[in-house]
Amino acid sequence: MRRNELVLGMRDAFPIVLGYLPLGMAFGVLAGEVGFSIFQATMMSVLCFTGAGQYIAIGIVQAGGAIITIIIANVLVNLRYFLFATSMVPKLKGNVPTLWAAILSYGLTDETYAVAMNRYQTHRPSTEYMAALNLTAHAGWISSTLLGAWLGAFITNTDKLGLGFALPAMYICLLVMVIGRRSDCYVAILTAVLCLIIGYFFPPTMVNLSNIIIASIIGATLGVLFNERS
Amino acid sequence: MSAAEIWIMIIGVSIVSLLPRILPVALLSRMEFSEAFKEWLSYIAPAVLGALAALSVIAPNGQIDFHASNLYLWAAIPTIIVAVRTRSLFYSLTVGIVSMALLYNFM
Repeated sequence: MRRNELVLGMRDAFPIVLGYLPLGMAFGVLAGEVGFSIFQATMMSVLCFTGAGQYIAIGIVQAGGAIITIIIANVLVNLRYFLFATSMVPKLKGNVPTLWAAILSYGLTDETYAVAMNRYQTHRPSTEYMAALNLTAHAGWISSTLLGAWLGAFITNTDKLGLGFALPAMYICLLVMVIGRRSDCYVAILTAVLCLIIGYFFPPTMVNLSNIIIASIIGATLGVLFNERS
Repeated sequence: MSAAEIWIMIIGVSIVSLLPRILPVALLSRMEFSEAFKEWLSYIAPAVLGALAALSVIAPNGQIDFHASNLYLWAAIPTIIVAVRTRSLFYSLTVGIVSMALLYNFM
């Protein structure tokens, strides 16, 4: 057991938890408004851990939609994790036992992925780090949901505190840190522009986030082609 | 939606959100990826972060918003500068959150 790795994982999860706080609380409040009990709202965050997917579920429940609609929407929203998880495989291989890696991948989100990939650029992955990072982030998501569901209408506006910018700030910084090669920078810019264009012309992709998947696949492919030519 | 229906929905969503994360790691770890595929995968992180950063700032509410009233655009400027200069998550987050709070309360 490497305690150091555990501490580092928890420390690296701290900014993620800060970003989840307003989002998890808002989910808890909204879930209560559409008829979830506090226990149900919290359990959804325990069992699902898919921010966008959970918001979509609430929206469809509110609109009186069917369970199957919610599940299909969630298949689309969560498909990007297939891509994330696959890109993590070469890093984890030989460092984290497959069984642990698979179980802990339940805690894979946009945020834990970004933080972990950033660390794995310069450090070897470890089971302890992965566990501490993913479980701390998940615990933050669960407790902020509980807080929101429990306090409900008493919640004051968290926008005032600027917490709404925690995740955007994190994405920006991680993007800056993850860019090593010149081609990384081109791929990032190209993908960002593509993602916005796809979202503009096909608004539903902005909701189910498939614009991220499509743009990333095209962006990475162009990155490989660009590197071959230069 | 009844309590029972809510539980069925939660379990359904749990399964479809769990599988795409766990399956690749569980099944692909035994496979040997080609160098070209590994290179392709190495571009996924910058690609995804580029998309997430752009979406979270330019379309914070799910719609592209280039108006000056989109505070996320303004808060992004000091955050980008600090991120490039310090490469520190802590400083970037602090500057981002404080800028947003100032913009929200005083603009």
